[in-house]
Amino acid sequence: MTAPAATDLVAHTTRFCRVLRDEGLATTPGDTLDAARVLELVDLTDREDLRHALRGVLVHRVEDGPVFDRVFDSFWGGRPLPPSGWLQRNPPPTPPRRERAPVSLERWARGEVETEREEAQLPGPSELESLGGQDFHSYGDEALREVTRVARRIARRLATRPSRRWKPARGGARPHLRRTLRLSVKTGGEVSELAFRERKVRRTKLVVLADVSGSMDLYARLFLQFLFALQHSFARVETFVFATRLSRITDQLRARAYGDALAELSAEVRDWNGGTRIGASLERFGREWPRLVDGHTVVIVLSDGWETGDPEVLAEALSSIRRRAARVVWLNPLLGSPGYEPITRGMQAALPHIDVFAPAHDLASLGQLARHLAL
Amino acid sequence: MEGEGYVTDRAVATAVYLATSLGKPLLVEGHPGVGKTDIAKVLAKVLDGDLIRLQCYEGLDATTALYEWNYPKQLLHIKLDERSDRSVGQREADIFSEGFLLKRPLLQAITHHGRPPVLLIDEVDRADEEFEAFLLEVLSDFQVTIPEVGTLRAESRPAVVLTSNRSRDLSDALRRRCLYLWIDYPSLEKELRIVRTRVPGIGERLAAQLTSFMQSLRRQKLAKTPGVAESLDWAAALVALHATELDPALVQETMGCFLKDESDLRAVGARIEAGELAAMCSPAG
Repeated sequence: MTAPAATDLVAHTTRFCRVLRDEGLATTPGDTLDAARVLELVDLTDREDLRHALRGVLVHRVEDGPVFDRVFDSFWGGRPLPPSGWLQRNPPPTPPRRERAPVSLERWARGEVETEREEAQLPGPSELESLGGQDFHSYGDEALREVTRVARRIARRLATRPSRRWKPARGGARPHLRRTLRLSVKTGGEVSELAFRERKVRRTKLVVLADVSGSMDLYARLFLQFLFALQHSFARVETFVFATRLSRITDQLRARAYGDALAELSAEVRDWNGGTRIGASLERFGREWPRLVDGHTVVIVLSDGWETGDPEVLAEALSSIRRRAARVVWLNPLLGSPGYEPITRGMQAALPHIDVFAPAHDLASLGQLARHLAL
Repeated sequence: MEGEGYVTDRAVATAVYLATSLGKPLLVEGHPGVGKTDIAKVLAKVLDGDLIRLQCYEGLDATTALYEWNYPKQLLHIKLDERSDRSVGQREADIFSEGFLLKRPLLQAITHHGRPPVLLIDEVDRADEEFEAFLLEVLSDFQVTIPEVGTLRAESRPAVVLTSNRSRDLSDALRRRCLYLWIDYPSLEKELRIVRTRVPGIGERLAAQLTSFMQSLRRQKLAKTPGVAESLDWAAALVALHATELDPALVQETMGCFLKDESDLRAVGARIEAGELAAMCSPAG
């Protein structure tokens, strides 16, 4: 490498940082500044030294390492660089869509209820006569109110979970020693007033990833109603739907009326009722919304596990989400049917990486959900 | 660093060098037992400073990390002082002086005199996000305001090392303020050097067998993959048993040194009973 003049080098480094940003790294101007400072500290004629040094200041998580190395190699090594944003614009090929018009959403929006069962290969959960009565797919409109009630109950439970931390509180259950002593100072060390403390409320957050592919069609309508109600009674919930692509629908669900929410959704979510790429969708969720999941977050995946993509991708994505989340709950509507075994490849790949595997085929099972959500 | 018995490579050395020259905290991530914490210990030796350690855990809060008033002592002092004719103001100044302050690790690091210390914030991923935010505040300017005493500022900025096992994702804000270093499991050659450096009494043949065996274990799917720390524990145990080479019975007896999970013990035990030990001990295995 011929050593260019110092200003050129700084400009070059700035460009390098910009390319990294284009490739999806969260490179800030502060990082660029650090990178420029680093140039003064290392031996520039040694490419590996430079790589380690720049990596130290520009890469903030191990997942970004390979991207950095690739850009570094082409940028400082003379190999041609793929056009910026290349990764994003060239996702792995998608399997062909199922030939099925995404009509049901619009029809629901107009108030038409789809009743016929089209998915002949589905294990029939309809024989079930359990606590909550009918299976979801046969529910009529009167059930919607019931779903809303269940969602409210869950929200209420989540909003009142005590945490391990304490806060001072009038009328708390336990004395707050430190405050009491502090108060006693004004009476010359005589304890005349007691201060109290109570537990803070645990700030549980929810992330819901709902499968709306063809095979989930029968359940999607009720789930959507459920998610809508949940969004309205519990502030800390983020909702995504996926079939072949992942879409964030939190904002749409915030619409005031359910009908409006549906109308907005049908306008924006295009792959409704397409095939299912659970792994790719979860992977994208982990990559693009990493900050939504933390130690106070319960991630709920609503899916029957019919994966048309690579089960390995699914396992990988799910385990990375689980590492960061407080809990991963997988709700499978098929689990409610007596003969069902989770033997699909997707479900098999997912099982080792979930904390709770529960049915979600009727109201009673949804009501049980609260138990799994309380951290 | 090699002088202090820490076998390193260029990535680690560069990161540590930059962290000290730029005065930024160093965030070290990696699997358990790859020597994250040791970086801070060795750095303290190299810089000839004290090591101040803050072990994080869930529920850790500012009072346990920063400072707390010594209430019993204050109370006693008030009682003892009751009969003196000093004014309330004077008494209060008394009991809220530094002598009544219990310094926790972060405040220790800030008020440290002499050579700059090394502050190790261990397993920061186990603390919660509230604490992380608080930590950011302290790390950004190394000063703390105690209402009763005033603002305390660090005389010399401590070198800060944070470690994380990635049990949860750290906030981007924290990541951005730190230099980042990922430590992977070492290569065969590096691990061999580590074992030889840290367990001097070990024989050539045993060291080579042991490291190859550990490397092949890490390729196997285990519930708790053993790190370098486990290799060293095991090496020390074998030296104590005067072993010179691995044989199936010996491995079965000492497996508890490096496998900390019942199902792993069974899985590896089965492999050894199937006569795979020799293959696992050869460098290619």
